[in-house]
This record gives sequence, C-alpha cells and structure tokens, in this order.
Amino acid sequence: MITIAIGKGRIQESALPLLARAGVRLNDEAVNSRRLALMDQTGQYRFIFVKPADVPVYVEHGIADCGIVGRDVLLESEADLLLPLDLGISRCRIVVAAADKDAINKAQGMIRVATKYASIARTHFGSRGIPVEIIQLSGSVELGPATGLADVIVDLVETGITLKENGLTIVEEIAESTGRLVVNRASYQLKTDEVAQLVNALESVVAS
Amino acid sequence: MSITSRIPAGMRYYIGAEARLRRQVEDVAMSVFEAWSYEEVITPSVDYYDLFEQGMGQREAQRGFRFTDNDGRLLALRPDVTSSVARMAATLLAERSRPLRFCYAAPVFRQQTQSHAEWRRENTQLGCELIGVGGKPADLEVLRLAAEILSRLNLQSRYCITINNVDIFNGVAAHLNLEPAAREQLRRLIDTRETAELQRFLQNYNDDEARAFSQPTQLTGKRDVLRAARSRITNARSIAALDSLEDLWSEIAAHGLESAFDIDLGDVSSLDYYTGLSLKIFVHGAGSSVGRGGRYDGLTGSFGRAEPAVGFVLNLDALTEVLARSNVQDR
Repeated sequence: MITIAIGKGRIQESALPLLARAGVRLNDEAVNSRRLALMDQTGQYRFIFVKPADVPVYVEHGIADCGIVGRDVLLESEADLLLPLDLGISRCRIVVAAADKDAINKAQGMIRVATKYASIARTHFGSRGIPVEIIQLSGSVELGPATGLADVIVDLVETGITLKENGLTIVEEIAESTGRLVVNRASYQLKTDEVAQLVNALESVVAS
Repeated sequence: MSITSRIPAGMRYYIGAEARLRRQVEDVAMSVFEAWSYEEVITPSVDYYDLFEQGMGQREAQRGFRFTDNDGRLLALRPDVTSSVARMAATLLAERSRPLRFCYAAPVFRQQTQSHAEWRRENTQLGCELIGVGGKPADLEVLRLAAEILSRLNLQSRYCITINNVDIFNGVAAHLNLEPAAREQLRRLIDTRETAELQRFLQNYNDDEARAFSQPTQLTGKRDVLRAARSRITNARSIAALDSLEDLWSEIAAHGLESAFDIDLGDVSSLDYYTGLSLKIFVHGAGSSVGRGGRYDGLTGSFGRAEPAVGFVLNLDALTEVLARSNVQDR
C-alpha cells in the first residue's frame, strides 16, 4: 500500500480528476465528508488530505510515500524529495509585483518585500545582490504596497485579476509553478514497483 | 522556564529499554565487524576543522559545530569519523602492513542537519573502513558486511542496499564537456529525478550518451538497468565503471544477495567524495537512508599517502528508532 498526501484546495480539485483518469478512484461521498484519511476503491492507495505547505513535511518524513503539491510550495520548503513528474495542473506564476513597474530600480539601498514565500523571495533577491527586508504575511499579501507596509510583494498569480484590482502590476516573474508528484527517497527504493506503477499511470494521462 | 531545563534542538535522552535496545544494536554491529577481523578504533571527538574540510569537503564540514582552540585555530566536534581514520592510516600507521581494517561506534555531530526529516544533531555512526586494497574483493567485502549486520538485526527482507559507480556519471559528464555549473545542474536533476526538466536540459546536447539519463525513473533495478545504460553509453571511463559494477553485481548474485540489493545509476548525491562504488542503505520504517558509503581512493592521498579505501556507516540512532517501533508493533 502507498500513502499519498494531497494539498487541500486548488491542487486537490485538479489532482483527483487526474488520478481518476489514471485509474485511482476515490468515493465521492468520502471525499465530500470531513475525513482526512481515505482509501481508494481498490485499497491500493491511502490518501491523506493536508494543508499544501505540509505535503513536503509528510513526504520528507516518509509518513506519506508520495505527494501532490505545487512547485511554489516545494521551492519555499526546500524539502529533499524526488520530483519525478510534472502533472501540469494548477498552472500559475510566482512573481514580484508592485504599484510602480520601476519599484526595484527606484529602491534606495533596500526594498521591503511582503510575501507568504519568504524563502523564495530571499533567494531571488539575494542572487541579484539586492538587500531586502522580508515581511512575512499569511494572506492578502496584495494589501502590502497599498497600505505602505512594503514596496513590493512576491506572490502566486494565476490570472492577475487580484493584482489589477489592488492597483499592482507584475514587475518580474520568478518561476512558473505547476502541480508535481513528489516521492520520498526511501519509499522510492523500498516500494519500487508500487511507486513506478503510480508514476507510469499518471505519466500516461499527463502526456495525453 | 529556566534555560537549564531546556534541551538544545536535535538532542535527546535514551532511557531504560530504549538505551538497552540501542546498545544491543551496537553490539551486533561491532561483533560482526570483529568476526570479519575489523579492529576497533576510537578517534578524537574534537579535531582541527581543517581535517574535516579536507576529508569531507567544505560543504559537509561546514555543517559541524565549530569553536576555537587556545591559539585561535578552528576546531570542530567531529562531523564524521572517516576523515580521522584516513589521516591515521596515512600518518600514524603509514608503516603498518596493508590492508588495514578498522571499525568504530562513535557519535558524530552536525550543527546543521541535511534535511528537515533529519532531526537529530548527534548521531552515532557504526562504521568500517578497509584501507590499502582496491577492486572487487574489497567492495564486495564491505557490502557483505553491511548485509550481514542488517540480517543479524532481523531486518531480513526489510532492507535494501543500492549500489552505483560514480564514474558512470562522471564519464558521461566529461564526454559532454560540461562546465561545472552545467554538470551540477545535470547531477541535481538526476538526483531528484526531475524527468521533464532533465529532458529539457538534455535537448541542448545532441548526443546519444546524454540520453542514458533521460528517463531518471528507470535508473533503479537489477542487472537490466546496466544493459539499458550500455545501449547508450560508449565513453571508455563509463564503460569501465559499468563493467566493474556488473562484475560486482555478479558476485552479489553468487552470494544469494540479489533480492536485498538494487543498482541505482541515479544515486549521484556525493560525486565529489566517492571515486568508484557508492552505496546507500534503506530500511522499511525509516523515511530517509539509514546508511551510506563507498570507495574513496582520493582521500588518504590528501594526507600524504594515496591508497585505495572503501567503507560505510550505519546510523545507530535511526536503526534503533525503526527497531523500537517494530518491536511495539510485534507485541
């Protein structure tokens, strides 16, 4: 049996139909219940539904053998995992946005960055030698520049509508993010056949 | 809460039954080492930081706890034992007849752990080093030793040892004339098995050899993964490494250990340390590897006497944790 951790919310909504096409089906009734751990119909897979940021934690500790999670979360967590498959779901971008398109160039000495992605922001500006003050928020990051809390934000953008409605434009793109299948290093060696079966099944529906 | 009631991160107590189990695991390993004529060695807990930087490379050595001596020189609480044993072999025991066989059960300390799942900053390594003899017999000896310890711990059919030869990757990287940054990127993509990114990267190299790694999820298995690699790889260095890995595999099979071992051509995690065989040890119930090792023919040379050497370590604390948990389940 293989345990798969899935990020609740956006990723879950696109991952479950993909899994169903790959032949891994969950009971609708069970999914809609409040149970956090479920078996699939064949009894071959156990699913646990956790907060997206916790998916790398469960998989890195080997509590879950595999996980489905966005690349944004993986970049932020810096978890030591195998990433065999890009599932192409929940496509979005991690960007730097500001009210002024020239915000980075105009900054004097240091910029204040509001974000949920402290580690990604630090790495991004660090690699360019730009000193930053990271202001860690847990939501509604778009408010940062408008309220004067920060000069720019680093956030996930799908359509850009929220940015626009809050008077922000994209200054630069840091990375593209899609849903990934991640695998624990020990499970990969100890449950080789079962993991390969899941990877192959998903690969065939991703390619089509 | 007073500061003395707190315990630093990554440190723990072992009490009663758990301490006893831990000692039993240690005794099993040390008795197997002894039966194979490995002499116990106890190395200094504190040594010059330079020793570890030379022995493990800067990136690994920097994880250690560091402090200064009276004269201002940088010291470290040993982050590994191998560096010290290699220095001892090259200096103190330079005149002793070869091969040298040493084993140890010793705590090592890392201020910074390698991954989030590695919580402990103090780990006891059960390890051995076979110095002064190269080639297949020495490689096979340490692999059989590792397998014997694991089966004596009743982990039969619950463990897997993966083997690779780092020169397979090194030969391909040299053949493709990769710059250091590109080589590191290729190494990382294979290590994390990022199929899509890897294939995008390899498109820049219109070369059949590059395709040897283009399916990173198909690099693990038995003898057939060698066959697949041979159909792509033609450079002499990689071929020699494939030959020696296949020879070793035949010996493993001859000793009836085929089911406990896997070849993993994608194990490229410590390329700059090992010079031939590299191995990792996995046990059901542990989320990361519980042991690793390989051949490091370059190491003793940096202490003034170049000679072949091979060894491995098992993590006593990780093994104890797995065994303690399975004892509870068995009850």
